[in-house]
Amino acid sequence: MRLTVDGKSCMGHGRCYLMAPDLLADDDEGYVTIRDQTIDVPADQVEAAEDAVGTCPEQAITLIAE
Amino acid sequence: MTETAIQHEVVERDLGKCPVMHQDFAPEQAAGWHWDLGDQLRETSPVYFNTFAQGYWVFTRHDAVRDIYKTPDLFSSESITPWQPNPIYRFVPTQIDAPDHIKYRRIVNPWFSPRAMEAAEPAMRALCRQLVEDVAPTGECDFVGELGLRFPTEAFLSVAGVDTADADMFVHWVEDFFSGFGGDPAGLEKMTKALDGIREYWVAVLAERRNDPEPREGDLASHLLHSTFDDRPLTDAELLDMLTVLVLAGLDTTRATLGYIFWHLATHPEHRRRLVAEPELIPLAVEEALRYYPIVFGDGRKVTHDTEFHGVQLKRGDMVYALVAGANRDPREYEQADEFVVDRKRNNHMGFANGPHRCLGMHLARRELAIAVQEWLRVVPDFRIATDEELSERGGGSMMTLTRLPLVWEVTE
Repeated sequence: MRLTVDGKSCMGHGRCYLMAPDLLADDDEGYVTIRDQTIDVPADQVEAAEDAVGTCPEQAITLIAE
Repeated sequence: MTETAIQHEVVERDLGKCPVMHQDFAPEQAAGWHWDLGDQLRETSPVYFNTFAQGYWVFTRHDAVRDIYKTPDLFSSESITPWQPNPIYRFVPTQIDAPDHIKYRRIVNPWFSPRAMEAAEPAMRALCRQLVEDVAPTGECDFVGELGLRFPTEAFLSVAGVDTADADMFVHWVEDFFSGFGGDPAGLEKMTKALDGIREYWVAVLAERRNDPEPREGDLASHLLHSTFDDRPLTDAELLDMLTVLVLAGLDTTRATLGYIFWHLATHPEHRRRLVAEPELIPLAVEEALRYYPIVFGDGRKVTHDTEFHGVQLKRGDMVYALVAGANRDPREYEQADEFVVDRKRNNHMGFANGPHRCLGMHLARRELAIAVQEWLRVVPDFRIATDEELSERGGGSMMTLTRLPLVWEVTE
């Protein structure tokens, strides 16, 4: 499983890295650090990643099944 | 006063099959009335035209509200009150569109980022703890009139780096400003005076800091004086507009949300006991309160060009109202949408709005709300509403807030 964040959509609500603190992190302005990047989601982080997707008000996060 | 801020000129137009209603959202109502109306409007009319003032479109469901927020090039923030397309105030950056909007936001975003708020938390918690310890031995209070407004005011002044003792003045200005914001002409004079008071306060703060060679540590006004916009310093008008909107957007809103959270906890002992037993759930409960009790009834925008949108034909200059109260409880988006789920996790509510104008102070507000619940429940785990009379809330034309919330509790030695 991989996860990607649409940089244009992310508005720095700060919900995703609270839901998935071991997967995602914030920058100085409060945006998630991996805007416009795709990362691997370890098996033990899949549920947290799904929580992050479900809590993003901007629908900026997408999970990609492999 | 010779004129009011509301024009009652109704534009002639072909509305097709769109329902037409006439609704004034300014009057005070029974507590919770606005969300009940939001539910009803969402289920009967995804979109309708309200002939109040010059007339405006109301979109009631989650998908349309989200699309309005996500399409700022079509929906300008030039006016955020649909009954007043040309307001007397100018909020910066609230009412600024692209490309300038993000330039202003980048000046203030770091000040209100999650990291900055984490650093500010110990000072905010100490302020709250003191207020709770002061009121706890009295066994009663009007929560929204006392701690509910006092704490966000002191917390904001602390974060801005000015004297928290100035909270007394701000509490009055905030009350007076919002008496006129919802479109009630009788409140306009008080609103204008309150705006003058707030601006004069910041004029003095800025004057005192203007000649500093370096920005003062932890001092927002000083930080703004040393900030640049397109490589030039901010103008006095910009500085005042920014500082003023922070006061108006940050104090009343948090008080209002705190009021509804404590109303909920006072009337839902099972939720209160759960949060006492599992305080780690408090941040989730706060998010659920922001979904279930959004204090912004709806959010206005001005249409920038003719287009079809969610089934109706919009014209340039039309006002639209994105009904957050309808969207946040839309069963098409949320499971158990009509229930307060105290530990709801996947909660993409729009209580702080969406898109580029999402609430600047959201990270401050969340932290204040969680701190207030934590500190209060630690000292006063059981409390109830002190009256059998029906509580009321300010009209949704402004932001809703309970007009009073009398609480009582047992005082233990």
